[in-house]
Amino acid sequence: MNKVAIVGFGTTPFRARWIEKTYYELAYDAAKLALEDAGIDKKEVGGVVYGIYNELFERQFMPDVYVHNYIGMGLKPSVRVATGGATGGAAVFVGWTWIASGLYDIVMVLGVEKATDNYNYTVGHATPETLKAILFSGDMTFENPSGLTAAASYALPLIAHIDRYGSPTQKQMAMVAVKNHKNAMNNPNAQSPKLLSVDDVLGSKMITYPFKFYDNCLYSEGASAVVLASERVARSLSDTPAWITGVGLSLDKAFAGERDDITVFSSSVHAGRDAYKMAGIKEPARELDFAELHDAFTGAEILSYEAFGFCRPGEGGRLIEDGVVEMAGSLPVNPSGGLIGCGHAVGATGVMQTGEAALQVQGRAGKRQVKGARKGLVQSIGGPATAWTAALLVEHIDQVKAKSLIKPPAGSRRKRKKK
Amino acid sequence: MIQHKEQWLEQASRKIKVPAELIAKAFRDELEGSPAMDAPLEIPDIMDITYKYSYGGISRFFRELRDNRKLYGSRCTQCGKVWLPPRINCNECYAPTKWVELGDTAEVMTYTIVYYGTSTFFDKVPYVCAFVKVKGADTLIMQNIFLKDIRTAKVGMKVKIQFKDQRNGDMGDFWYVPADDGHDHV
Repeated sequence: MNKVAIVGFGTTPFRARWIEKTYYELAYDAAKLALEDAGIDKKEVGGVVYGIYNELFERQFMPDVYVHNYIGMGLKPSVRVATGGATGGAAVFVGWTWIASGLYDIVMVLGVEKATDNYNYTVGHATPETLKAILFSGDMTFENPSGLTAAASYALPLIAHIDRYGSPTQKQMAMVAVKNHKNAMNNPNAQSPKLLSVDDVLGSKMITYPFKFYDNCLYSEGASAVVLASERVARSLSDTPAWITGVGLSLDKAFAGERDDITVFSSSVHAGRDAYKMAGIKEPARELDFAELHDAFTGAEILSYEAFGFCRPGEGGRLIEDGVVEMAGSLPVNPSGGLIGCGHAVGATGVMQTGEAALQVQGRAGKRQVKGARKGLVQSIGGPATAWTAALLVEHIDQVKAKSLIKPPAGSRRKRKKK
Repeated sequence: MIQHKEQWLEQASRKIKVPAELIAKAFRDELEGSPAMDAPLEIPDIMDITYKYSYGGISRFFRELRDNRKLYGSRCTQCGKVWLPPRINCNECYAPTKWVELGDTAEVMTYTIVYYGTSTFFDKVPYVCAFVKVKGADTLIMQNIFLKDIRTAKVGMKVKIQFKDQRNGDMGDFWYVPADDGHDHV
C-alpha cells in the first residue's frame, strides 16, 4: 500500500445556522480553502469523496451530485459516503483507500451538512424536526416507533455501563462538557466556545437521562475538506505533511440488543485495533499525544477512552478527573473543542476533526496547539447506538528520504507558501 | 414581497400541513417587513412519501400482536437462538428460523428517559425507552416502559407486557409496565 498524507485542510466555521449559504455554497467555501491550503489547483484533484449524512437535512437526495457540479469537479471520479455520525471519518477512510491503492495521487474529501433548515413551526425552531429527520435512521419497524433519539441511542449503552461500573458519574461527564466548551475558545471555527463550571452543566436542564443540556453537542451547519496525497505528491507539496498511518472501520450489529456486551463501543474497539495495528501502536495511552474523539455526548467521550485502550473498562471517568485528557494533561482529548465545543455538522464533523489532527501534528494549530504533538487519533461514531466507527491515526514523520528523489507531479507548484 | 398574502398562506398551509397562523408567524419578516433583495429568502417546504409497506417474512409477528395479543420470537432451526426482533433466518447459521411464542414478562437491561423528543414525540415527554430481555428470547428488544413515576426506572426492573386496545399491527401495539403493578395503564 502507498503512504497517504493530508496536505491541505479547509473548513467553514460551524454555526447554528448558515442562512446565507446553501449546502453546495458551503461546500465550495471549504473546497476552496482546502485547495489553497494544499497549494494546488482543482484540476490536479484525481477524485472527490463526499461525506453527507442526511438527505432530509439537505432537502435533497444524492446531494453529492450537486456539490460535485457546484465546485467544478466535472467528470472526475466521485462517491458519497453516508455512515451516520461517522460520515466524515468514513469518507476520509475511503479517500485514504483511493490513494493507498495507487489509483490516484490527489483526492479531496469534502464533508458538508445543513442540519437546521428543518423547522418545527409549533415550537418555532429547528431541533425537534432535526431530531425527527435523524430518527428515520433508527430501524423503521422496530425502533423508530419507540421515540428513540440520537441522545437516547448513546444513553442506552451508557446507562448499562453506569449500572455495571458505577461510572461515569454525572460530575465526570460535566467535567468533559467544561473541558470541550473551554477548548473551543481556542478554535475560531467553533460554534459553542464557553467558559462553564461543573455546576453550570449539572444545573442545566435534563435532555435525555443522564445527559443534561451541556452534555449534548449542538446541531451545526458547515463544511470541511481535506486534501489527501500520495507520498510522491505530498513530499513535493509540503515539508511537514500529516501522514495517515493507520485506518480502521467497523460496523457493529444495528440492533444493539443483539450485541454481546451493550456497555462497550465495540465498533470503536475494532476500528481502533485495526488503526493501531497498522500504525504500530501498542500502548495508546503512552504513544498518543492527543485525540479528536466523537463527543456527541460527554458520556460517549468517556466510553471511547475505554474503547481505545486509554484505560481499562470502567476507568474512563478517572481520566477526566485526573486531568489526563485536559489540554495540559498527557493525552489531551478534543483540543479543537470536539463536537460539544465546535458543533456537529454531521458529514463535515469527522473531516474537520481529521483536519484538526493534521494541524496538530504539523504544528499549525495556533492557540489550541498541543505541545510537541506528533501522533493523534481521530474517531468518528455513527449509526444507531454507536454502530459505526471510523478510526484514523494521524502522524508527523520526520523526512528521511532525500526530497530530490521524488519528482513533483506535472503542473503542481513545488511548495506551499509558508503561512 | 409576497403578493396575495392570504392565498400564499393558504397554499403554504395545504402544502406543508401546518396551520396558516404558525406559518405567518415564521414568515413575519417576509410577509410584513421589507427584506433587502439580497437577504436570504426562506420557503416553507415538506418532503413526504406515503407507503403500503410489506413486512415480508415477519408479517406473522405483527398479525399475532394485532389479532391475538401474542408476542412471538423466532428460533434458529440450527443453533436454537431465539431472535427478538424476529427474523426468518439466522445470520449466524444462515439457516431458517421457526416461530416461537414468548413469555409476558421481561427484564429491563438498560433504559433512558427522553425529556426532549422529536417533533412526533414532542408532547409525549418524558418517556422511557429501554432494551428489555423478554422471557424466552436470547436478544434484547427496544420498547417503551410506562411508569407512574418515571424516576423509578432502573436496570434489572421486572416488567410485563401490556397490549393496546386498538391495535394496528406495529410496535406501538404493546409496551411494558412494572411486573408487580396490578393497575391498568391503558
